[in-house]
Amino acid sequence: MLQLVVDGLFVGSFYALVALGYSMVYGIIKLLNFAHGDVYMVGAFAGYVLFSTATGLAASGGLMSLLLVLLIAMIFTGLLGVFVERVAYRPLRGSPRLAVLITAVGVSFILEYGVRQIMGPNPRVYQVRLSGETFNLLGARITLPQLILFAVAAGLMVALNFLVMRSRDGRAMRAIALDPQAAKLMGVNVDRVISRTFFIGSALAGAAGVMAGAYYGTIDFLMGFVIGLKAFTAAVIGGIGNLYGAMLGGILLGLLESFGTNFLGGQWRDVFSFACLILFLSFRPTGILGARVVERM
Amino acid sequence: MTNLSRRGRSRLRILSLGAVAALALSACSGGVTGGGGDEGTEEGPIRLGMLAPFSGSEAAFGPYMKNGAQMAIDEINEAGGVLGRDLELVTEDDACDATSATAAANKLITSGIVASVGGYCSGATLPTLPIFSGAGVPMVIPAANSNQLVDADENGVFLINGTGDQQAQAALKWAEKQGVKRLALVDDNTDYSADLADAVAEQADGTGIEVVLEESVTAGESDYSANVNSILSADPDMVYWTGYYQEGGLIAAQLASAGYDGELLVADGTVDAKFSEIAGAAAQGVEGTFTQTPDMLEGADDWISKYTELYGEGPGPYSTQAYDAVRVVAEGIKQADSTDSEAVIKAIQDIDGLELFSGPLKFTEDGTLSEGGFAIVEVGPDGAFVLKDDLQS
Repeated sequence: MLQLVVDGLFVGSFYALVALGYSMVYGIIKLLNFAHGDVYMVGAFAGYVLFSTATGLAASGGLMSLLLVLLIAMIFTGLLGVFVERVAYRPLRGSPRLAVLITAVGVSFILEYGVRQIMGPNPRVYQVRLSGETFNLLGARITLPQLILFAVAAGLMVALNFLVMRSRDGRAMRAIALDPQAAKLMGVNVDRVISRTFFIGSALAGAAGVMAGAYYGTIDFLMGFVIGLKAFTAAVIGGIGNLYGAMLGGILLGLLESFGTNFLGGQWRDVFSFACLILFLSFRPTGILGARVVERM
Repeated sequence: MTNLSRRGRSRLRILSLGAVAALALSACSGGVTGGGGDEGTEEGPIRLGMLAPFSGSEAAFGPYMKNGAQMAIDEINEAGGVLGRDLELVTEDDACDATSATAAANKLITSGIVASVGGYCSGATLPTLPIFSGAGVPMVIPAANSNQLVDADENGVFLINGTGDQQAQAALKWAEKQGVKRLALVDDNTDYSADLADAVAEQADGTGIEVVLEESVTAGESDYSANVNSILSADPDMVYWTGYYQEGGLIAAQLASAGYDGELLVADGTVDAKFSEIAGAAAQGVEGTFTQTPDMLEGADDWISKYTELYGEGPGPYSTQAYDAVRVVAEGIKQADSTDSEAVIKAIQDIDGLELFSGPLKFTEDGTLSEGGFAIVEVGPDGAFVLKDDLQS
């Protein structure tokens, strides 16, 4: 039983990291960024390229080199997010929301098949693999890499929370989420803040991508699709647009999958999680922590 | 004068247009009927089509099949061809995907192939059967081996690889030999994989082996810890994974890190060096059910060195089957003494004793091999699978 909880928490923290970007972007400009899952995929490939070009890094293979690669990949995917926003979303900011949504799907395909063109269609195997001891905690097995990745994910979420709740930029983000026009009148540089939101959200997705590559070992150009859907589900369950909601939703979804598979069988895993998405959309579209969305209207 | 010459020119233009149209029409009809029968393919090389994955998750296998087939074609052409005509191989990428495969099959038929010698992924091969069959193209399938290919009951389908039933037999034989009592079956919900798991479950009835779990995973994800948990709680002596290597590698690694210490047997879709790369240390000791590859066969040394010389690397899985598929088709055309599809299909069905890598060929009524030829392989020290037991005893 405890094993199910541990596994659920671990997968859930990946979902949460990706869901945060989804939720932040939606909270601020009301855009469902369907290309977000593919930013995760680009992050995984950026990490792969870094590890394979810097062979010294791969050889040392320690935690430090992983963190360094993680940081560089995060900056790269962050800049990619800013670029995508500037090129594909900003020109359409006044357009109907459907137009932006379709553009987002287009961006998703461009990223997927762009990477396919550059890196080839075959799955790649990470040079650096996290391995380490196994701990036994009340009958549940936890491995060292799981602990490390869980800590990194938690650290990133705490840092994000600090940034949004305590910093000037964070206050500006919250102001824009509340009312972009009024924020503009109060002297907030809306474009710049939206850029930064994209940077942060994409960097988090990129981090999740590198971590998934280093932990699971294999990456391919379509890996962002499923995780994008899962992150969207997590964001909806938690309450889209709400940061705590994204974290909660990610972890809940991880737990749901873990328990659902155990009781229903593996073939039902995705049916189960997407059924939850439908239930939430029908009965509580604002999610668990979504009351604030109503407040915002 | 100017008028006349102008009219002359326009008449010339009409004439030439007509000629172009006629040419185009005849070219088209040649292409269309080419697949259907004798017409339009009486001259020039006899074209054999091959669908194989050259991109996508199974892309590693396409080139092996292509090289093997090309080798057979070159040998036959050097010896004078078939019916005095050369053979020519036309390949198309099916990406191991049903949609790409049907499009590619239509493309092959338009290019006027006389027979198909391809098919790797069962899920991608299955929807192409009615297309080839409808166009009167006999199929000798070198690698795909789902039972559904046999059950589809289309005209002119022959499998030169053992079927799922035969692979299931081999897996159970090995499990019995290892003293396995509790067996867990894990598949990835594809035609090939689910069929094989079902076949094992069916055949296990009445043996001393109990199937304690039949579980499917969703292909394309990275975390299978939830599945691993249910495997562990079923507490099997052996897990038989019937899917492909990408998920297989992940499951092997995740089983090992979750503390599973029983045996892991994988099906032929996972028997690939990439499996060990993905599984890492967890690959050690993993066994697989597999059709024999050239390096496992006796007396294939000459063939291997010739292949290596031609393509700069050793022959991989299914290169021999593709080589044999071409030879079977060539033999069929030779016996039929025509490229007419009905005659060729009948001739292939009647082939008796043509020496293939897997032994003398004789097809059953269903178009499957009368002898399956599955063996047990094991991950060697360098990560490649090597022969462990040929299951002959």
